[in-house]
Amino acid sequence: MTGSTLAAPIVAQITAIEASLLAFVVLTALATALARDVLAAVIVFGAYSLGMAALYTFYRAPDVALTEAAISAGVTTVLLVLTLAKTTRIDHDVAFESVNLPAVGAVGLLFGGLLLTMGDVPAVGSPDAPVWSNPDVSQWYLSESYAQTGVENTVMAVLAAFRGFDTFGEAVVVFAGGIAALIVLHREVFA
Amino acid sequence: MTLVDATVAAGYTVGDFLLLAAAGFTVLAIGMLYRAVKGPTMQDRVLAVNVLGTNTVVILALLAAALSEPTFLDIALVYALLNFLMAIAISKFTVERGGVL
Amino acid sequence: MSDARPEDDGDAEGAPPHRTRSRSVQLDSERRQGTPYTESQVIMPTVKIVAPFAFTYGLFITFHGSGSPGGGFQGGAIMAAVVFMIAFAFGIEATRDWLANTVVVALAVGGALAFAGIGLVPVARGGAFLQYDLLPIPVKYGLESVEIFGIAAIVSGVLMGLFFLLANGFNSDEGGFGDDDAESDDEERDEPDTPDAGRTTVADGGER
Repeated sequence: MTGSTLAAPIVAQITAIEASLLAFVVLTALATALARDVLAAVIVFGAYSLGMAALYTFYRAPDVALTEAAISAGVTTVLLVLTLAKTTRIDHDVAFESVNLPAVGAVGLLFGGLLLTMGDVPAVGSPDAPVWSNPDVSQWYLSESYAQTGVENTVMAVLAAFRGFDTFGEAVVVFAGGIAALIVLHREVFA
Repeated sequence: MTLVDATVAAGYTVGDFLLLAAAGFTVLAIGMLYRAVKGPTMQDRVLAVNVLGTNTVVILALLAAALSEPTFLDIALVYALLNFLMAIAISKFTVERGGVL
Repeated sequence: MSDARPEDDGDAEGAPPHRTRSRSVQLDSERRQGTPYTESQVIMPTVKIVAPFAFTYGLFITFHGSGSPGGGFQGGAIMAAVVFMIAFAFGIEATRDWLANTVVVALAVGGALAFAGIGLVPVARGGAFLQYDLLPIPVKYGLESVEIFGIAAIVSGVLMGLFFLLANGFNSDEGGFGDDDAESDDEERDEPDTPDAGRTTVADGGER
């Protein structure tokens, strides 16, 4: 990927698109959390996923962005709407939940504490970041994955080959999730 | 030297302007968000999220062009195909409170 | 959709055949107004056009995961989303009859077994789990077969299953969670153990 070879003028402008995308994501997340009507929250959550996919794309993580697009736009919204159709929905007069001020204070303190650690985090896309410059992990995967697997997409090489057993565990978790839904809903067949 | 790297004016390349355009579309998306959050009826929200989805397809396509990564267009295509699914799911739910599902 | 189905043999007032069968869980609006409006003249033709492209794109993302962004998880989710799309356009009950429970279960279980099987072949040859260079095919095809036959099948099968499961709702007949309506609704409910009941009549009418 071209993360470390950005021309200097682009670096100067990253802030414009980054700032607007981050503002969009934060606003949608706040609206999702505060919306009183559940269907409105589901719809705004769909908008949140749109912003997240664009943000992942901008950070050169196309596989994550594609997962966000497929799962969030295609699956999560549909399943949530379907669940709402099977439950009762209450009409509300007010659009937003009232905010609990002590809870906001507690979350703000936690957020401030985390913000203090941000000075030690390497900059986005920095070539000196340990996660990028580590010769035994990231650089080894990037240099060896094509030679050892013949697959151009390093993400897939790591997922299916170098971390294949973890992926097997994840696949079994998805499978177990389907069975758990059967048990919870007291059904014996899917369709 | 591709078209994206060509200098237009004052040291700024075509890619920079594409990124700036993507930022502009994101600002527009924040404006559209008002209708999705406020929207008195559910139909307003469905329309708002549909327009937001189309807007995101444009943003993703601009990002793919600006970053010189043609494979990023895959994400825009997936969104274009699945945004339709999101819209019909919610719009059919608004009829009879999901009774037609 | 007033008189587009003259061969309905009058079992209900103009309702499509699969709507005359009682739904598993009836909503209040349905009791009040009878069988609701299902097929939209806008959504159905649009889905007919979009669904083949979306399904092909899901296959492309699954099969081409080694050369471009994507892979089995994303492609499987998109293929399951195509089934959701068809279900919204043609009605969930009609889709449930078209896509048998056997197919959904076979996808999920077959995917898990295929993943484990591909992983265990190298073990049988004296290597480690998922040691692709011991497979009789090139390493690249080993990875892709795991993505295609393993992950994509599990994800699409489980997601389709979750969709049909949530559309059915909670089965309060055997649950014992104290649903007061369970007794009065008994004659209207489908038997969850016999999904084949009434399948033939729906197969006649659902596709037209």
